[in-house]
Amino acid sequence: MPGPLQTRDLIALLGRVAEGDRNAFSELYAATSAKLYGVVWRILPSKDRAEDALQDTYVRIWNRASTYDATKASPISWMAAIARNRAIDEVRRRAPVSIEDTPQALDVPTDGLDPLDAAQQSEELRRLNDCLQALDGERRQIVLLAYHSGLSRDEIAQRFGHPVGTIKVWLHRSLAQLRKCLGA
Amino acid sequence: MSEADDIDMLAAEYALGTLPADERAAVARRAQTDASLAAAISAWELRLAPLAEKIPERAVPAGVWEKIEKRIAVGGDSNVISIERRLRRWRATAIATSAIAASLLLFVGLREFFPPAGDKTLVAVLQKDAQSPAFLVSVDLDKRQLTIRAVAAKPEPGKSYELWLVHDDLKTPRSLGLIGDKPVTVGPSLTSYSPSVIEDATLAVSLEPPGGSPTGAPTGPVLWSGKLLQAPQ
Repeated sequence: MPGPLQTRDLIALLGRVAEGDRNAFSELYAATSAKLYGVVWRILPSKDRAEDALQDTYVRIWNRASTYDATKASPISWMAAIARNRAIDEVRRRAPVSIEDTPQALDVPTDGLDPLDAAQQSEELRRLNDCLQALDGERRQIVLLAYHSGLSRDEIAQRFGHPVGTIKVWLHRSLAQLRKCLGA
Repeated sequence: MSEADDIDMLAAEYALGTLPADERAAVARRAQTDASLAAAISAWELRLAPLAEKIPERAVPAGVWEKIEKRIAVGGDSNVISIERRLRRWRATAIATSAIAASLLLFVGLREFFPPAGDKTLVAVLQKDAQSPAFLVSVDLDKRQLTIRAVAAKPEPGKSYELWLVHDDLKTPRSLGLIGDKPVTVGPSLTSYSPSVIEDATLAVSLEPPGGSPTGAPTGPVLWSGKLLQAPQ
């Protein structure tokens, strides 16, 4: 992630957080909270619910920092996954935020990379994006919209005007194709 | 589709977030005990994670950090969680000070304190910090027999000291029973734990109501802890 703190700094901070270092936790929050709030907001574009989800996310990060494995994921990937899971749990449990009320939820990059800012992307994103480009347009949009906005199969079916069974089949085919393309 | 493919698709949809609420909850429950499902979910989270790079940052409203700070304060969310955190922290300290602990054991003379033991002996100094050892522990790994000797710890009126075995594989601290008032307590037996767990374990002493923790988990403050180490030969 671009920004004043490099990946290795975040790894070091997480290591100190695992030992219960509150100062390190405060630094980690300062360095990452705007990013995680952006992740949560896409899924829960409501101030109260997004704030609650962000709180829960950092309490989980505090409690689970000792399970973070730097050989498996970057700190921001690990933390973003916790944030997304928390936001999706919340959006599934209660009434979803209406898409019509939240135009910013539609403002997601569904067509892949802008070549101009390609230089700023990680190698991992470039690879993933190449694989996404190989998907049929509508199916790519579905995967991206699900990731960014946390839509369920039912919500995707309504949005795209297909039966939910079709969406499930498409998702499975797209995901299997992505796995094969990414080579793992 | 094979069963393995089905499980991987469940993991993929969980990570992507598209499962209906009931299926999502069921997958989360199953992943707590099904390591292969949990690993598949992590792998999918990792595959999709680069997408988060494109999500713009958003200014966090004021006051959120203060609420988080309050929730992680000791005794905040849950006393048990906070005690486990403290155990983890003390374990980290114990590892950091293990060299001091080992030299301290050499200084006090292991043989003076402990009866001749088997070939494989583990020792631990249970301490709050390097300057204040409270108990010395030795474990005969062949017999899985534990001996604990009070160094500076004094019996606390109306309270009991309870000894705990802590290891990541065990999830929660396991009681090894109460420490008696005598200078040396032999036992308890560790036969229900594998040598690999014992060799890598941390011991901790908490202050409990008379007769020990009523819940099976530490309820009072953890006063001393230390990591088991190979005894100096």
